[in-house]
Amino acid sequence: MSKTRLWVRALSATALSLAAVSAQAQTTVSAPPAGRLLASNCFQCHGYNGRSSKGFEILAGESASEIYNELREMRQKTGSDVGIMEAHSHGYTDAQLKLIATYLSKQTP
Amino acid sequence: MNRRDFFRFTGFGASAALLSRLADAATGQLGFVPTNTGIKGRVVVIGGGMAGATVAKYLRLWGGSGVTVTLVERDAAYTSNILSNLVLNGQRTLTSLQFGYSTLASRYGIKVVRGEAKAIDHVGHKVLLADGTSLPYDRLVVAPGIEFNVIPGLETAAAQAKVPHAWKAGAQTTTLKNQIAAMPSGGTFVMTIPAKPYRCPPGPYERACVVADWLKRYRPGSKVIVLDANSGILAEPENFSHAFDVIHQGVIDYHPGVTINSINASTMTLNTSMGALRANVINAIPSQRAGSILTASGLANAPGQWADVNVLTYQSTVAPGVHIIGDSSATTQPKAGHIANQEAKICADAIVRLLAGLSPDPAPVTNSACYSPITSQTASWLSSRFAYDPATAKMALVAGGLVEAPSISKDNYEEMFKWFNTLMEDSFA
Repeated sequence: MSKTRLWVRALSATALSLAAVSAQAQTTVSAPPAGRLLASNCFQCHGYNGRSSKGFEILAGESASEIYNELREMRQKTGSDVGIMEAHSHGYTDAQLKLIATYLSKQTP
Repeated sequence: MNRRDFFRFTGFGASAALLSRLADAATGQLGFVPTNTGIKGRVVVIGGGMAGATVAKYLRLWGGSGVTVTLVERDAAYTSNILSNLVLNGQRTLTSLQFGYSTLASRYGIKVVRGEAKAIDHVGHKVLLADGTSLPYDRLVVAPGIEFNVIPGLETAAAQAKVPHAWKAGAQTTTLKNQIAAMPSGGTFVMTIPAKPYRCPPGPYERACVVADWLKRYRPGSKVIVLDANSGILAEPENFSHAFDVIHQGVIDYHPGVTINSINASTMTLNTSMGALRANVINAIPSQRAGSILTASGLANAPGQWADVNVLTYQSTVAPGVHIIGDSSATTQPKAGHIANQEAKICADAIVRLLAGLSPDPAPVTNSACYSPITSQTASWLSSRFAYDPATAKMALVAGGLVEAPSISKDNYEEMFKWFNTLMEDSFA
């Protein structure tokens, strides 16, 4: 790579960085996205932001109503139908399940 | 300023962001450290186990590049306690349970310092390392795991080497594996379980099963005698009762409510509340307390020398700015790797909010999943969920929040490895 090209790269990186700095200066720190901390209970098995890479179901980008309804259905199951996800569906209010489902639906798979 | 300096000073933020975006694109799944959160702070993390590694990673993912994170760890790699019972029956190697820190450093820009934290100056907001280095912090997270109390008779290193606990995966795990392999047919393996709370509630029962399963096949006629200081099986009572009474019937001999007075490593004799016992192998799991850095710093202020914390932030109740997560903290939650990972996320989220001048999340929920091998082909699982209860200011088990697997199965055994791999990815990758 020529020195000139390196210089151009450095300049464009600088432009980006300046843009980032000015964006930062204007940004007031806002609260974390709703549902993120609750949804992080899913990440141990379903990957960061629901982007599973090692075998469990991918949740990122799924429809919020699908995730929500599925979790609610799981909560109804009893006896030998109780798998580990049925067990995990207990412990969240409907409002919390909605927050989790909405957060995961907004993630890029 | 020369051209290189210009690049270094003004271009770094963007180029680091681009690099981590590229890394993200390359791996597909893992997140990147944002540069524009407007949040700034210096966080030091002591201990690179399940809790420490996870909090370091999530502080960067959620706090952004303005939150500098220094992780202090004495070992080159973490050796997972989870699945370490499978080292005893030869199904896993210790090496396969090791997780280094290079990914945390390269992907998330965490500064990893190999060293030993010697003292916490929570008034001066700095950590002193054994090599004399001083690390200043705005927020400190301490995640040192557990320290062992000494069982009378096992005061010397030689006695401890002969009667290993193997409750921190590593050299003692190998010692115990070799001792089991050297047992004669018709031999006796005695395990002692301390009164709660101890690390990994189902762990001792799981180990009894794995050892019994191995002895049954390779050292027929041998016995596994379990002496439990607790009044009954603490975790998964249904599955472990079934495992003891049916699956490993005639091999496991379980005795609840037994106190260990002393152990003589020379004669391999246990002096207990049910009399004296001799064994070929004694696996004595001592009672435990918070990590030494916490007892030394006066932060282990709860009964049993655990560290009392506010579970909305995991901040110490005696040292503002110091957060304690994982097995060392005194909470209502089990001392186990999966829940330590979630405590770490609550702590990371709280620290990021506090650095931003916001309040912590008022309603955190934690969950725990744990698979336990019962034989070399089958496993069970335990799952629990805790929610913050404002009335008691504790994490309370929710209604229907404690469930054990409806059966012990091969499917569970297969799923156990998926769970392990994803959990370790969420913590170390």
